[in-house]
Amino acid sequence: MQNSMEESQKFDRRKFLKAAGVAAASLAFSTQSLEALAKEGDLHKLTILHTNDVHSRIEPFPMDGSRNQGLGGVARRAALIKKIREEQKNVLLLDAGDIFQGTPYFNMFNGELEMRMMTDMGYDAATMGNHDFDNGMEGFYKQLPHAKFPILVSNYDFSNTILKSSTQPYKIFKKDGLKIGVFGLGIELAGLVEKKNYGDTIYLDPIKKGNEMAAILKNDYACDLVICLSHLGYNYKESKVSDQVLAKNTRNIDLIIGGHTHTFLDQPEDVKNLDGHITTINQVGWAGINLGRIDYYFEKGSAKKIKAATQYQINNQLSG
Amino acid sequence: MKIVIKLETILVLYLLTILWSCKSHYALVSSDRGKYSIDSQVPVDSSIVKTYWPYKEQMDAKMNQVIGHCAKELTKSYDLPETLLGNFFSDAVLAEGKKIDPSIDFAIPSTKGGMRNSLPKGDIHLSNVFELMPFENEMVVLKLKGSDVEELLNFIARSGGQPVAGLRMTIESQKPVNPLINGQPFDKNRTYLILTSDYVANGGDHVGGFKDPLERRSLGLKIRDALINYIKTTTDAGKDINAELDGRITKI
Repeated sequence: MQNSMEESQKFDRRKFLKAAGVAAASLAFSTQSLEALAKEGDLHKLTILHTNDVHSRIEPFPMDGSRNQGLGGVARRAALIKKIREEQKNVLLLDAGDIFQGTPYFNMFNGELEMRMMTDMGYDAATMGNHDFDNGMEGFYKQLPHAKFPILVSNYDFSNTILKSSTQPYKIFKKDGLKIGVFGLGIELAGLVEKKNYGDTIYLDPIKKGNEMAAILKNDYACDLVICLSHLGYNYKESKVSDQVLAKNTRNIDLIIGGHTHTFLDQPEDVKNLDGHITTINQVGWAGINLGRIDYYFEKGSAKKIKAATQYQINNQLSG
Repeated sequence: MKIVIKLETILVLYLLTILWSCKSHYALVSSDRGKYSIDSQVPVDSSIVKTYWPYKEQMDAKMNQVIGHCAKELTKSYDLPETLLGNFFSDAVLAEGKKIDPSIDFAIPSTKGGMRNSLPKGDIHLSNVFELMPFENEMVVLKLKGSDVEELLNFIARSGGQPVAGLRMTIESQKPVNPLINGQPFDKNRTYLILTSDYVANGGDHVGGFKDPLERRSLGLKIRDALINYIKTTTDAGKDINAELDGRITKI
């Protein structure tokens, strides 16, 4: 199923790119020249690094012959992130939730180590996944002193819970003159998390909330890029809200960094949103097996601005 | 003359600047995307290792103990109706459950998604069982009327099979065909005792049929502890942990 799904994604994406007129043949300049321009200051480059569903995988999977043996591990991820930060001026490091649960590190230390590791790696923000409720809201609350990064979630109303002042709907990051708005969306908790673990949390419609957040960030705060950290899941057979449904039914979201379904996308997927603009979805499996990276190039005050809002050059490879 | 043109240009630029200042100052012109595989090629940040080392030592002291031996790797799949891991998991939990309550008819101790990791071939460390079943879910037995059992069987078929023990069925067009419970054809007119987890019984993973049980009792044992007991008992009897596909759920 996984393979055929990925095949159909590739096909859809090709079709879409054609429709949007972003054919590779029409590229005005090569990636190399963009790099050069970025260094000269005409272009501003932003590097997004991301993970999802790390599930307490502190060490690599053990070498026991299983499918994922030897993969992942925070010490390697940290070294890689450090290296990228040395090379790139503007880096945002984000996580799409399910930080907790999956190895005995969580059973024994209740998420303290996961939060400390993410703090040490310099995570800029994360959202909450359903398993981040596994020790109840009190359990999550207790670990927040170890998390020196904001927890972004806009569609859980925590007013009547212990988490009422612990999260925020969005955060605006300023990097080299660029304004990047990041907000979070969580999955419906009923039927997934035991009632006692989410208590009086009120789940709000992610499409409605997503549109509201993205409009605030893009229009009111004039963000150059709007990112949604989503734990909704990539897609479902049944008609359930997912990142694909979110992308198609919203405006103003440039990038959805997804989680929950542990989907290994071959490459990010570009979906046409309500305005006919590109909303990109990405998800990099789980357990820290991969680190996702998207580099965005912005041109300052360019006349191409209006055009660029509907189409921009996309390369599915990194240039460094 | 030349100066006038320049002034006009400046004015136009000034107006454009005002217009721009209302919205974003930057236009997105390009993006490059990729991902890194975090494997042994990536160097290690030793300061991070230093931070987690004390936790690791404490964890290993408890979790590295070998509690059994697996004859082969027991894997799971979302796409297959029956898996080695699912059969091991449900048979083990049912066997431990029946030690407490022999009248249990069948078990669905977890959903496919609730089994979180495979069991490797070779030594089974305590950590393997924690990774397979990290949740603190407890075993419960529910007495269901026939119509609710039918709803549960429909759920199992609709979702393409789930880990079960004491139950056999064929799935055709997402519907159960000839379900057998304890070797007997399913009888809608009687009640059944079903072993599951408190999580599933409370509506977790949207499993059907458990909303309105006639009775519910807790067995006072965590699912994970049942698995550990089963592995230890098997090991004490001088046997390996193993599982076979026996066609308990097939799809046509």
